[in-house]
Amino acid sequence: MTEKQESERKHGSEEIRMGVYVCHCGLNIAGSINCEQVSKFAATLPNVVLAKDNRYMCSDQGQELIKNDIREHKLNRVVVASCSPRLHEPTFRKACEEAGLNKYLFEMANIREQCSWVHLHDRKAATEKAEDLVKMAVAKAALCKPAEKIVVPVIRKALIIGGGVAGIQAALDLADTGYKVYLVEKEPSIGGRMAQIDKTYPTMDCSICILAPKMSDVGRHPNIELVTCSEVVDVKGYIGDFHVKVLKKPRYVTNDCTACGECAEVCPVINPNEFDVGLAIRHAIYTPFVQAVPSTYKIDMDLCLNKENIVICDKCIKTCEAHAINFEMKPETIELEVGTIIVATGADVFDPSSLPKYGYGKYPNVITSLEFERLINAGGPSTGHLVRLTDMQIPKRVAFIQCVGSRSKKSGRLYCSNVCCMNTIKDSLLIKEHWPETEIYVFYVDIRAYGKDFENLYQRARREGVRFIRGLPAEITEDTKTSNLWLVGENTLQKELYQINFGMVILSIGLEPREDSKKIQRLLTLSKTQDGFFMEAHPKLRPVDAATGGIFFAGCAESPKDIKDSVTQASAAAARAGILMAKGKVTVEAITPTCNHERCKACGLCVKACPYNALTLNEELKRIEIIEAACSGCGTCAAECPFGALTQKHFTDEQIFAQIDAVTEYNAEKKIVAFCCNWCAYAGADFAGVSRIQYPSNVRIIRTMCSGRVAPKFIERAFARGAATVLVAGCHLGDCHYIDANHYTQKRVERLWRKMEQEGLNKERLQLLWASAAEGERFASKIREMQPIIGEVTSREIERAKKAFEKVSSED
Amino acid sequence: MPVRTWRTPLDIEKIKRPKAEIHIIKDQCKGCGFCIRFCPKNVLEESDETNERGVHPPRVVDEDRCVLCSFCTSICPDFAIFVVEKQCKDGC
Repeated sequence: MTEKQESERKHGSEEIRMGVYVCHCGLNIAGSINCEQVSKFAATLPNVVLAKDNRYMCSDQGQELIKNDIREHKLNRVVVASCSPRLHEPTFRKACEEAGLNKYLFEMANIREQCSWVHLHDRKAATEKAEDLVKMAVAKAALCKPAEKIVVPVIRKALIIGGGVAGIQAALDLADTGYKVYLVEKEPSIGGRMAQIDKTYPTMDCSICILAPKMSDVGRHPNIELVTCSEVVDVKGYIGDFHVKVLKKPRYVTNDCTACGECAEVCPVINPNEFDVGLAIRHAIYTPFVQAVPSTYKIDMDLCLNKENIVICDKCIKTCEAHAINFEMKPETIELEVGTIIVATGADVFDPSSLPKYGYGKYPNVITSLEFERLINAGGPSTGHLVRLTDMQIPKRVAFIQCVGSRSKKSGRLYCSNVCCMNTIKDSLLIKEHWPETEIYVFYVDIRAYGKDFENLYQRARREGVRFIRGLPAEITEDTKTSNLWLVGENTLQKELYQINFGMVILSIGLEPREDSKKIQRLLTLSKTQDGFFMEAHPKLRPVDAATGGIFFAGCAESPKDIKDSVTQASAAAARAGILMAKGKVTVEAITPTCNHERCKACGLCVKACPYNALTLNEELKRIEIIEAACSGCGTCAAECPFGALTQKHFTDEQIFAQIDAVTEYNAEKKIVAFCCNWCAYAGADFAGVSRIQYPSNVRIIRTMCSGRVAPKFIERAFARGAATVLVAGCHLGDCHYIDANHYTQKRVERLWRKMEQEGLNKERLQLLWASAAEGERFASKIREMQPIIGEVTSREIERAKKAFEKVSSED
Repeated sequence: MPVRTWRTPLDIEKIKRPKAEIHIIKDQCKGCGFCIRFCPKNVLEESDETNERGVHPPRVVDEDRCVLCSFCTSICPDFAIFVVEKQCKDGC
């Protein structure tokens, strides 16, 4: 098609010429639907110039048929009645585009998953329903407008939040590819948890020895700008164009620092060192550990004697030969512009003092696995000697307790922390290596040695005499004389009780979401799983992408994982971010909102409803501004607009009204008008079809991207047109594909229920369902449950509802 | 790093901290209270006794807390306080 013709079509003044194609899908559809009859029916509908039925529309031959007809019959709308649009919409859209028809002028009627497969034994009813579905698609198609995807440029710079091993790896990968990287770290040094650990499993490599070279690479890399002691405080913008504000706290030591350490020697203030889990001291001027990058020292102003610009103590200043200490440094806000963001904020460790039965915090010889790492580390506070903290002696018998803070309802963490089993096995071998005579017991629930070479390490520990006992101790008590610890519990394999005396107990603590991850969640509009870790866009197919475009996850921020998995995910995140930046642009589906500024009263309700901050209120001009690139196309804003000013492209109010009107044209008093979200409820209905779950045929599904698109006026329109019942179905709360848009669905339905009660209507006629894509049976049983409600609705009640909602729906 | 620290650091004994000896010339004090207010370790407090000038001079609360910053010496307008390092005979 030439550009001239294209522009003619865009102006839409021409007559609508629609082609309808009814697919047999072999016998999948034709087995229970009279396709020929449906096609003949379609030919009678307005704007339809030709209607055909065909064995396989998705075959090359079927697609050729469409293409030829578009050219030959000058079709400007195409409707295919076949399988689910979730399956073949892209196929047919492409065919249309190849014949020069804009893909948004194509529409589908789902007569397989949602008709023939779920009404296998009632040909008449199924055919009738298929006709309705085609009528709805035709009605919508007539109102479709051509549209182009929106193209947005991507800034070729990345921000990485968190400088643990995941952040380091992602930064190096992106920087080596050639992109500018800003690595923002909250602490004075990068390195994260891995720097604290002594050895790594299963290879028993020295952790800091393999990490330190990577850390220095980051410090030296010309493409990496390392920003330490800093936190992200504000993020604006969208995929490809994020505006980030970073608050950089002062170090009070300049880059002239040579890390000689003389200042710390003279500093009179001491405090437990967080890096050593409080087992060693540091001064107010310090570096967290020797290999720190940057190596520049830092003054902890919460501890330093100098306050509010009064220099009380100047010992460090006097000692520093490099004149690197500057108490006049101020916090500064750095503004960054980046195209992509990688969230590598890591995890916290579980605090076992919340479990009194293990006595952590009360008995000094009960330590955590993180404290163990510092004790066994040659550079640690005990120079690598695993000493009891009561008498500084090497214990003769040691116990490890697994799953502390994991897999337990009591501690509130139901998930497996992934790393503790192998960490314990590694730790037990480290003890055996240094003090072979030590007796080691591991109390466990299950030993999960699932990774490459993990089983080998487990078997090695068993061979070396580590004893594994299934059954966690019920209690730990201390022998006050010896400070030894008694463990009492049940060995569930031998079905016998044990009571054993230990010199030291190591609690294998789990990982949990970082306390401050809420802040990052809010700034980047991320979602979290039930466990509190960040949620990926798809657990199988997009495991490193956030739902918000241009944001990716690496490391423990997404879920607990070991070093290897963190590094793998970091490289994956870097590759995913790299794809966007290499292309230099992103395209956005043309299902974004449009605003009729004449109707808009700039009330700002839509701004609040948008889960992606894609709408802003321009206070000066009193109008709404839409950032299309940030929009994910849920349509919640459009449903929220009380003035009918906002609408969603390709899911306009008129189109959805047309579908409702088509459903309710005949026998409305026997039908269910169902609104289903694309990702969960519609997919669930499809799944019912795939599983051949049979349910009554009087339901007509209208697809929206999100249940948040379902405006109260749609429901009111259905009732005003005499529909017996209305079903609104979406993802489970917390599982919404548009962060939390379905909370709006709930609010709106609840409001309508109240209204129905006030009008004296049976509020059961409006049903709300949360169903996931896998819950076909849940969807089907809802339809079955609704049958008696329809049976009981009297014609008087129908009339009353018509009257109650007539006015509202005619306003638009 | 949000880590709860509750233990006594293992190397706390190894850190040699100079012990302070605080000298207050009570009758020279005019009771401005600067030393008490600005001491970063809150080593001093006002005493009950009255000196020659009719004011309450400071008193040492806990000498062990003093880190010998000597800020009190610097800010005392009346040269009434000074700190020296305690010379330990027993190797303290």
